[in-house]
Amino acid sequence: MEEKQISEKESLLIIQQMIQTAKQEQKDDGKGWIIWGWLLFSASVFTFLNLKFDWVSIFFFWNLFGALTVILLSYETIKYLFVGRKEKVRTYTKDLYDKLNSGFFISLMLVIFSMNLGVEPVKGFALLLGLYGFWILIYGAVLNFRPSIIGAYITWAFAFASLFVKDFQWTMIFHAVAVLCGYIIPGHIAYNEFNKINQGETKTSV
Amino acid sequence: MFKDLDPILHSQLRLAVMSLLISVKEAEFTFIKEKTAATAGNLSVQIQKLKDAGYIDVVKQFKDNYPQTICKVTSQGIEAFEQYVKSLQDYIKK
Repeated sequence: MEEKQISEKESLLIIQQMIQTAKQEQKDDGKGWIIWGWLLFSASVFTFLNLKFDWVSIFFFWNLFGALTVILLSYETIKYLFVGRKEKVRTYTKDLYDKLNSGFFISLMLVIFSMNLGVEPVKGFALLLGLYGFWILIYGAVLNFRPSIIGAYITWAFAFASLFVKDFQWTMIFHAVAVLCGYIIPGHIAYNEFNKINQGETKTSV
Repeated sequence: MFKDLDPILHSQLRLAVMSLLISVKEAEFTFIKEKTAATAGNLSVQIQKLKDAGYIDVVKQFKDNYPQTICKVTSQGIEAFEQYVKSLQDYIKK
């Protein structure tokens, strides 16, 4: 781009193109939702099967999930501290997500601690689903991503239904389905959309 | 023709830089260069003009032993950009 006189139409076109370019930076690749979604889904399904077939202690798969979470979070923290951020651009959306992630994990830990301090797991998982719904809705609203907005309401519906469940097996089924609708499906849709945009960008730049 | 339009912003590359920065919190020089497809020399000159006008803040630092230039739009820059878009709209309406 050289410095030259531009018409009003060209000015508008430049503004439009650059804002569109910046908007693409706000797109999420959905990987986080896919990873956490499948981990949560697997923990629910294996806990359900464990309750059916009595393999190991009831919360074995959730403890395994907890251990994996600690490993993943430690890895991310170490990477952040020693490698630092590699992003060439900081967006308001990404900054908001960072803050929300912290808030989400702190709230999540509070619910998990409360379950360890006597809150019934059946009710505790309903609260966890409520929390997932909140985070999914904000994500969907900020990115104007319809699958997540729909997923949030489905997650809340399962959270509400979970309050009336007495059998923990059903809690796990509800949890798995809610995670499928709130995390996994929107995550894969976001991943496909992100790849399409990137492929389009590569094609136009070649 | 464009009497009311801000001459600082009414330039292809400077307008592209401002439009890009207005949508993000801050961006590295390399990111702006990549997205505007400008040459490093030309981009440096235009960024300096925007900085001199008070429309952007430029922070030069070292990261992992490499120089890093970070640009961020100022409140004065936001105001000027909004005014520019408004003038553009008024012109088109005529």
